[in-house]
Formats: sequence, C-alpha cells, structure tokens
Amino acid sequence: MQTSYNFMAYLIYLPVVILLTWYVAHTLFKNSKVFMLDIFGGKAEIAGATNKLFETGFYLLNLGFAFWVMTIAVDIASNRRLLEILSTKIGGFCIYLGIMLFFNLYLFFRGRRISKEKARLATVPVPPPAIS
Amino acid sequence: MSGTFALMNTLAYIIYLLITYLVTVRVGFIFYRNGRLFILNLLHQDAALTDFINKILLVGYYLLNLGYAALMLTTWDTIHTWTELLSSITAMTGKILLTLALIHFCNMTGIYFISKRDQSITHSKI
Repeated sequence: MQTSYNFMAYLIYLPVVILLTWYVAHTLFKNSKVFMLDIFGGKAEIAGATNKLFETGFYLLNLGFAFWVMTIAVDIASNRRLLEILSTKIGGFCIYLGIMLFFNLYLFFRGRRISKEKARLATVPVPPPAIS
Repeated sequence: MSGTFALMNTLAYIIYLLITYLVTVRVGFIFYRNGRLFILNLLHQDAALTDFINKILLVGYYLLNLGYAALMLTTWDTIHTWTELLSSITAMTGKILLTLALIHFCNMTGIYFISKRDQSITHSKI
C-alpha cells in the first residue's frame, strides 16, 4: 500500500476544489445580477441569460483547470508530505480562483462603465455644428 | 496481469465517457435555453428561424464534443493502479471541461462582436 497516501490526497483535493469553486461561483453570480441589469439597461431576460452563460463558463473553466492540475507526480511517503503537497495544491488553486474572481469583477465594472457612458451620450442632445 | 490492466482501462473509459456525456448534455441544454434570446435578437425577432438554427447548433455542439471526447480515448496511458485510474480520469475530464470553456468563450466573443456590429442587443433604438 505505498500509493495509499496519493489516493487519499486525491480524495481530499477533489471535494475541496469542487466546494470552493461552487462557493465562489455562487457568491459571484448571485451578486452579478445587478451589474448585468445595469449593463443591459434593465432588460431582465437578456441579463439573466448572459449571467447564466457566464456562470456556466466560469464553472467549466475553473473545474476543468482544477481537474487538469490534480495529478501528483511524486509518491507521498508520509503524513507530513501529504499535508505539504495538499496545501501547495489547494493554496495555488485558491490564488488562481481569486485572480479569476477579480478578473470577472473587472469585466463587470468595465461593462457597467461603458454602458453608462453610452446611455449618457444617447440622452445628451448633440449640439448643432458651429456656424463659421 | 495484462488482462487486469486492460479491464482497468475499459473501466476508466466507461466512467470517463459517462461523465463527459452527462456534462456535455447538461451544459448543451443550458446553452440551448439561454442562447436562444441572443439568436432571436440577431435575427430581428424571427422566432421560427431562431428555433431552427438553435436546434441545429445544439446538434452540432453535441457531435463536436462527444466526438472530441471519444477521440481523446486514443491518447490514454495504460492504467496499472486505482490511483492512476482516478487521476487519469480526472485529468482527462479536466481537459474536456477546459476545451468546452474555451469554445464557449469563443462563441460569446463572437456573439459580442456580431451584436456590436448590429447594435441590436445591448442598445436597441434608444
């Protein structure tokens, strides 16, 4: 049973990353509804659809990445190594997830700013060209 | 012993194809439901044509992804232990999920650019 620690590491890693991704995506996309409504000028249907599409993409991307990098190449020989390797893996994934979260937030704020500018430009009447 | 190894690979393929099938169908259905609105806007509210195109897109998506998932089987290493079984299934599923995400974001970028040219989704006749 020399590989039992590796197996245990996978069994700990998988639920942790799935729960983490679920928690982050759930929090992010529950609150992003407001941004989407702002971006699409209060059209609830298209805002909801876009939100759902982004949420699915977020899950696919992050879970895919988490699964992809799961493999531990070395044989874990002791409890201590197990903890060290697991903390490296999960910590690295947490940092990646945080970067993705802030990237998404940046996109939302950017979209809202652009849409507000467009709305302001649309409401302000264009001044007549100056007669020389 | 080689018989056991072959059995393990077969088991891995079955689990992998099952997971991939479930994920593909579920994600495809979410895209099908939520993407309809975008096509409807791009086609200027032509409902019949929208439903037709949407269905065609769904079938194309299924064919592409399931075919790709099946193709990936040939790149699989021989599995010797249960640990390898778990890690290889997870890694391959991760690759499929990443590919799905990539295609999905490419599609959304495409829709964004088309609608920007069209200006009918985000700001219709202010």
